Amino acid sequence: MKSGITMRDPTAETASALRARANPLTTLQGRTVALMDIGKMRGDEFIDRLEQLCHERGVATRRYKKPTNTRVAPREMIADIAAHCQAVIIALSDCGSCTSCSTHDLSDLDKLGLVGVSVLTEEFRHAFEQQKSAIGFDAASIYVPHPMQNKTTAELHAFAEQSVDEILSAICTAEAPNPVRRAA
Amino acid sequence: MQAAFPESGLLIFAKRECDTCAMVEPVLGELARTGQPVVVLTQDDPAFPASLSPIDDTALEHSFRFDIEAVPTVIRLENGKEVARTFGWNRAEWSRVSGVNGLGAGLPDMRPGCGSKTREPGVYEELVARFGETGFASRRITIGTWDDEIEACFDRGWSDGLPVVPPTDARIIRMLSGTARKPDEIIGLVPPNLLPITVEKVAINAVMAGCKPEYMPVVLAALEAALEPEATMHGVLCTTCFSGPILVVNGPIAREIGMNSGINCLGQGNRANATIGRALQLIIRNVGGGRPGELDRAVLGGPGKLTFCFAEDESDPTWTPLSVARGIAPGKNAITLFQGDGIQGFIDQRSRTPEQLTKSLAMALLAVGHPKLCEFTNAMLVLVPEHYAIFRDAGWDRDRITRELHAAMVRSGADVVQGAHGIGEGIDPKRRDEAAVNKFWPEGLLIVHAGGQAGLFSAICAGWTGGRFRHESKPVTREIRP
Repeated sequence: MKSGITMRDPTAETASALRARANPLTTLQGRTVALMDIGKMRGDEFIDRLEQLCHERGVATRRYKKPTNTRVAPREMIADIAAHCQAVIIALSDCGSCTSCSTHDLSDLDKLGLVGVSVLTEEFRHAFEQQKSAIGFDAASIYVPHPMQNKTTAELHAFAEQSVDEILSAICTAEAPNPVRRAA
Repeated sequence: MQAAFPESGLLIFAKRECDTCAMVEPVLGELARTGQPVVVLTQDDPAFPASLSPIDDTALEHSFRFDIEAVPTVIRLENGKEVARTFGWNRAEWSRVSGVNGLGAGLPDMRPGCGSKTREPGVYEELVARFGETGFASRRITIGTWDDEIEACFDRGWSDGLPVVPPTDARIIRMLSGTARKPDEIIGLVPPNLLPITVEKVAINAVMAGCKPEYMPVVLAALEAALEPEATMHGVLCTTCFSGPILVVNGPIAREIGMNSGINCLGQGNRANATIGRALQLIIRNVGGGRPGELDRAVLGGPGKLTFCFAEDESDPTWTPLSVARGIAPGKNAITLFQGDGIQGFIDQRSRTPEQLTKSLAMALLAVGHPKLCEFTNAMLVLVPEHYAIFRDAGWDRDRITRELHAAMVRSGADVVQGAHGIGEGIDPKRRDEAAVNKFWPEGLLIVHAGGQAGLFSAICAGWTGGRFRHESKPVTREIRP
């Protein structure tokens, strides 16, 4: 992502230049987590498995799918997520436009009070950091290996299994990653 | 960038739209034919002069770095350093700088050049921002190419709810040109977080508010007034009450910067009025951390918390300006900060004598805060010209009006104690036997002359409740310095 205009900070600069994200939930019991499929190919296979893993942990989810990964989510979708869910997981960005648009979605939902996390492939770590800085929002992210488009379904499911604890711990303080599971 | 030029030779800055530059085009050819390195840099048309393969300096970077003030400018470099320069066309000077005699046969001996594009309005600050050294200490915030800069300011929480002007370096440089004070000078600690503020941060927030550079001295004085301990800005901001700073500007600067003291002066439509008050509030928000719902706990707030700033009408020589009444020498620029609420209209189209109007105004002023609260708030009366004329024509000046109004508001303790008239609110029951209770402290009624020439509609601004602490919270007047 290229840079636009540069401004100077009008504040006393006692805080980060990035807006702090909403506080993680203290429990997922009785809460609903939005699973936002950004609409990129193969992402649904990752999310299918993530959804199963959430349900196995007793975490209620509500599934959404953007019409396209190349634009921000429709306003109706954002409003629906805010009305029915208390946290959001956005997956799976493996390109420049998905990274940019999904970070905006994460920021828009955060402004409505929903804590969220974005799942991206390793290759887009820098793009995500750039987008965070441009939006001015201290967004959370979890990374899976890149590339993902040439993986088998089983491999994508494995990505979900390896990252689910970390993903949930990004939105809930009670969901600390299990080191044994992660090491496995 | 200078490395691209010959170590020794001539640099010539020109632009096609300059007649003198066009006139000397053959001379440039003459110089090139002498064999010495000649580099022409063009500020407007990269194809001018075509015969000399000019360097495109339409971005003005070279012109800026060589501090070109006029075109054509001829510079002699020796060993990478400038050793001589001339501008405009002057045969003798060009000979001195180039070492070539007899240039421009047939041309007049001299002809002035034109201004460099680097010196056109607004350009120089952009070039300093782009190629120079601003020396700014504030953190840089760079947004994405396709991101909207105004939305980016909203997203970062820098706005009072209205769009702000993005504080770019060029705009900040221009804003700082409005004050003689150094950017790194610390003005004080801004409440509620009591964090230090520099002139640079003031300029940034003034840019965002929409100020022009010439407003800077007023904004700085407003801030200094707000930071005086007795201005109690901390309380004014954090209070559950309605209040905010109401700013009244006196002195020639009000006219110089185009402030409104006439029709609709408490309303919208005047840039200086609107943005000076806004700049102070943005500073409180952005530097002080005073954001509604966080430390600003106003139950209702008021529209004046966006901005409330106007000038006093000093055109009537019989009227003593507010600043003079408050100790500033006549003719000096000054700003008064009054901690107050929105306006309460005062309508009286029937009073014909000063006595009638005094009683009438007193009746309305007694309602400030609550009719039975006394010495609890200050008040500002904005007296319009038609109401003032009734006093003036009877020979009453500011002092007399103030004195008579205070006297007309005196009531007995029994009339205003808590419980009197079946109303719980009121003054301390221990004061029941006092014969004379004043509505305001003797210095607590500020009268300002302002407004359109037609209309018997004055305004009363209630002061904030901190005014009950007579010696702790007071209006503040500061002289405005360059």
